[in-house]
Amino acid sequence: MSLEIMPPLMFGGLVIFLLIGFPVAFSLCAVGLFFGFLSIELGFFTTAYLGNLPLRVFGILSNDLLLAIPFFTLMGAILERCGLAEDLLEGTGQLFGKVPGGLAYAVILVGAVLGAITGTVAASVIAMGMISLPIMMRYGYDMRIATGVIAASGTITQLIPPSLVLIVLGDQLGKSVGDMYAGAIGPSILQILLFVAFIAVVSIVAPHKVPPLPPEALAPRGWPLYWRVIKGMVPSIVLIFLVLGTIFMGLATPTEAGAMGAVGAVVLAIVNRRFSWTLLRQAMETTMRITAMVIFILIGATVFSLVFQGVDGSHWIEHLLSHLPGGQTGFLIFVNIFVFFLAFFLDFFEIAFIVVPLLAPVAAKLDINLIWFGVLLCINLQTSFMHPPFGFALFYLRGIAPKEVLTRDIYWGAVPWLGLQLVLVAIVIFWPESVTYFIDKGTGVDPSTVRIEVPLPDMPDDDAVPVFR
Amino acid sequence: MGMLLAFSRGVDWVNHKFGKVADWCILLSCAISAGNAFIRYGVNYSSNAWLEVQWYLFAAVVMLGASYTLFRNEHVRVDLVYGSLGDRGRLWVDIFGIVFFLLPGMALLAWMTWPFALDSFVRWEDSPNAGGLLRWPVKMLLPLGFLMLTLQGLSELIKRVALLRGPVQGVDVVTEYARPEQ
Repeated sequence: MSLEIMPPLMFGGLVIFLLIGFPVAFSLCAVGLFFGFLSIELGFFTTAYLGNLPLRVFGILSNDLLLAIPFFTLMGAILERCGLAEDLLEGTGQLFGKVPGGLAYAVILVGAVLGAITGTVAASVIAMGMISLPIMMRYGYDMRIATGVIAASGTITQLIPPSLVLIVLGDQLGKSVGDMYAGAIGPSILQILLFVAFIAVVSIVAPHKVPPLPPEALAPRGWPLYWRVIKGMVPSIVLIFLVLGTIFMGLATPTEAGAMGAVGAVVLAIVNRRFSWTLLRQAMETTMRITAMVIFILIGATVFSLVFQGVDGSHWIEHLLSHLPGGQTGFLIFVNIFVFFLAFFLDFFEIAFIVVPLLAPVAAKLDINLIWFGVLLCINLQTSFMHPPFGFALFYLRGIAPKEVLTRDIYWGAVPWLGLQLVLVAIVIFWPESVTYFIDKGTGVDPSTVRIEVPLPDMPDDDAVPVFR
Repeated sequence: MGMLLAFSRGVDWVNHKFGKVADWCILLSCAISAGNAFIRYGVNYSSNAWLEVQWYLFAAVVMLGASYTLFRNEHVRVDLVYGSLGDRGRLWVDIFGIVFFLLPGMALLAWMTWPFALDSFVRWEDSPNAGGLLRWPVKMLLPLGFLMLTLQGLSELIKRVALLRGPVQGVDVVTEYARPEQ
């Protein structure tokens, strides 16, 4: 057996084994180890090469950046239960209720605010689906518009900093998370504008689909209403400052910002009188299981990719991708279409851990700015939450939507928003400045200078095994 | 079968306890990390030990929590085919996966990480950072975690084989799969 056929064999094997449906983390490990020992038998690399594995796994566990995953998850899990989304939605819904499409604008706006506070889609979609969907249904919104806007606005949180996707992508691409965040500012704004524009067009072309609230459903203008809005907005702004402000001003690392955000969420829950030990315990348990699940995918992916590199898999991928016509743009268009289709079957963690490390070296070789590349992938990966029938956001919405809402409506409702998402991908491909503008001057402070003495994974020399190729 | 199910109950119990420990590690690590940031600006003090504790706890969350996550059937799957299978079909997928993927994979990783951790213990390895923590306890978490996963895999295997043979009493087995919230 020759070395050339190993990478396609490995990749094909992985696809088949993943499709069986056994948990991804363990399938990745098993495929990697099986081919690892096969390669040792066939003499493609030595046992010592595989001996790097414990060091790699240890490197994941001692990675300070990945700590941000449990912190932001914990923050989201607490916020989900502390009533912030309710205050925001009811206040802004009343404020915008008078205009056609007002409730939909409120959902987009609140989706963006929640997105800037936390990084989890579940929290936003569930809150908005429980509060706004019944109101929209009662006052005659078109069902597909209503479900679509909620699912789509829930996924805004994936792109707006502090997004978990950007942290993971920054880690995989070897770029600072601060830069990734700065790069995502422009596209986030574009995305919100696109969503708002879509609703505006609908309200002109088909006003009956997005009716304004009837007068009897409007709360009188005055202090009770304003108070409601303030009660939602002030804590949001404080939390946004606590998390994003400290990162952009260079006061804290993303990891610390996540931890402070979680503490802030607890304080908010106490102030709103929603805090209880049960709430905290539930949030901790969910967070623990998500963290273990995600990091184990990464461990599995590491086992797989170490062996894949060992059999020259990166050359194979490079060979496949670097001969695409159209240079940079051709590569980007191909990659985005590829990822768009992968996103039907895989979640973003799997794509980020398995596929991105394969693509990044090729992108770097084509002289593509990796931050631009990462933000582009992030926008694209957002669609993985909205693909019928497996998209997470649709799944959550189905879980909490009343019985009258047809599953078919939820699926069809998502389609125009998927289209908008692709429009955004196209804009960012052909207008890279929308990403790079904010990296160059947006924040004034270089977040990469925030490095406090982050302990390096310790690698004593006597352990380090030379890598044979 | 009775003996095996008793073994399974025992493993589930131990890993449930480990899971609880992992829950608290999350909270502790979060509090310490936020505290580190405040103290650095408040009293202009930072210590490597406190910075290292953060990811020691993170390592504990991952390595100790993974088995309980397996028990809860919450490791994410590609449910394209799996989602359309019936109950028995899913049991067979799990049995196949545990026997051919999980058990050999996790046992191998436990076997490979053990000398790595043992070496650190024998050398009484210290942190390379001034004032850092002893390194071997966190390295010991690796073989421990992979071992506990192997055991939990055995337990899940026993329970699923038992389920195929008929209804079982006295053990908890989670066969329904819902994708985790993110």
